[in-house]
Amino acid sequence: MGKVKSFFKSGRFVSLVWIIGIVLAWEIAAFFIADVFHDRMMNSKLPYLHSIIGTIVGNFALLSMACATTLSRAIIGFAAGALVGFALAIFMSLFRPIEKISYPYLLLSQMVPILGLAPVVISIVHKVQIGSVTIAASDITRVIIAAYITFFPVATNMLSGLKSVDADKLSLMFTYAARKPTVYAKLMLPFSVPYLFSGLKIAAPLAVTASILVDSLGAAGGIGYNMTYSLYTGTYSIFWASVLCSAAMGILGYYAMVLFEQLFMPWKRGSSKKGGR
Amino acid sequence: MGIVAVFFRGMSEMQNIKGTFRNNSAVRLVPAKENLMTDEMRAQSEIRIEHVSMTYPEEGGRSLTAITDVSLDIQKGEFISLLGPSGCGKTTLLRLIGDLLQPTTGSITVSGDSPKAARMNKKYGIVFQNSVLYDWRNVRKNIRLPLEVMKIPKEEWENRVDAMLDLVGLSNFGKHFPHQLSGGMQQRVSIARALAINPEILLMDEPFSALDEFTREKLHEDLLRIWQRTNKTVVFVTHNIAESVYLSDRVCVLSPHPGRLSAVVDIDLPRPRVKEMRDSPEFLALVSKIRNSFEGV
Repeated sequence: MGKVKSFFKSGRFVSLVWIIGIVLAWEIAAFFIADVFHDRMMNSKLPYLHSIIGTIVGNFALLSMACATTLSRAIIGFAAGALVGFALAIFMSLFRPIEKISYPYLLLSQMVPILGLAPVVISIVHKVQIGSVTIAASDITRVIIAAYITFFPVATNMLSGLKSVDADKLSLMFTYAARKPTVYAKLMLPFSVPYLFSGLKIAAPLAVTASILVDSLGAAGGIGYNMTYSLYTGTYSIFWASVLCSAAMGILGYYAMVLFEQLFMPWKRGSSKKGGR
Repeated sequence: MGIVAVFFRGMSEMQNIKGTFRNNSAVRLVPAKENLMTDEMRAQSEIRIEHVSMTYPEEGGRSLTAITDVSLDIQKGEFISLLGPSGCGKTTLLRLIGDLLQPTTGSITVSGDSPKAARMNKKYGIVFQNSVLYDWRNVRKNIRLPLEVMKIPKEEWENRVDAMLDLVGLSNFGKHFPHQLSGGMQQRVSIARALAINPEILLMDEPFSALDEFTREKLHEDLLRIWQRTNKTVVFVTHNIAESVYLSDRVCVLSPHPGRLSAVVDIDLPRPRVKEMRDSPEFLALVSKIRNSFEGV
């Protein structure tokens, strides 16, 4: 009895309701379009969810290949961007003038829409030949754009973490006569880990988006390529299947970060209560 | 049983104070902690504060005087409280001793050295109002923190941590994270961490003020037991009169606007202190004596 009760109050239950709600709403809306209004454009407007899932199963090889192409570039770009953002945050917290000088540029960088930036990068970047391996220009572009979009939320969140270390914790390090590297290793960085992860959680779906965007801007593969191409050719089943796949990748990116967060911050697991010290 | 001489420095310099303590003589004898005083400890005051003033610069060229012309000698092994309402500069004074702030004028010496030298020589253990534990470290690793930072040989870590856990009665909680502990336990970990480097002086900044009454009284017993066992010099900041009387050998009463030392009261209750003393007439008399000294504030 108690277990049932606590399940109804748990976050899992809420997520379950959400998922069921979305599936139901989708199916009902599709039903109205198809069988009430008898819309002949039903397949482009909103096909049944179960038929899309059927398409995904039927074209699993094609779609998973495309997903792998998009996702792998997104992951590389994300990792590179996260690293740059992390380093930048530490650099800015170490040297206040650098923060003051570079921050407006960082803001500016995020005001430029990537939709406008991506073609510029594509036109600049050329394919790279390393030995027998050729890296396509579109791959490099995907990585660059994904990194470009990732570094900012990571850098700003990390920086705000480094800046919110409370004075008493620092005083403690001062009384221990700790040097700066020690203060960073033992206090600043571990303290900022939760902030870092909130940055990573924002950035992960964005990196996927960036990679998909470059797919559709003239790459020869990837899930974004599938979307554009199937839209042109009128194969709406593949289009919707691709949309669902890209949504799944974004969500996957987010939850991968949640998982990492829990792995890296065991002290946060099951905390929350007794916060008022 | 030994006797320790307690000096009142700076008392004669204070004027126009409405408190009742102007008639304190320069030297008074108070009963010492039993079996704990040695000749060496009697020899010389450990912390010497001479005419110390502290002014914080404020925006617009104005400044805020936190404390003015405080002189005080603290003996080795003494438990001394800095008592006063908020704004009296008691925390400032503690931070000056701990080298977390520099005095504007006057000087502080710790066994003849500067506070900075004392800090570098691992002489201070500090306990703040909040336990200031590092959330990402479990209890053991929190206590180990100063040992890691202050380059104590690695072989000693585990033994020292075990000893500290035992001292504060948390041997079964080494693997717990701070958020899994009650406020009282967190503060005990904080005390253990402060004592891990075996400092000579324990600086405590309102360590129990965030705790409920029951936990606080329990921690009073623990702190006194730890103090008797380790024989540290304790400088204890508080705004709780009864707390200062119960714990201390001497209570330094500070008054605000500007912060100044308005009285030093000997607490001649016998040691070891026991809970029942809180209701004794002597205890209550000391509390009311100190309370009355604030009337002019």
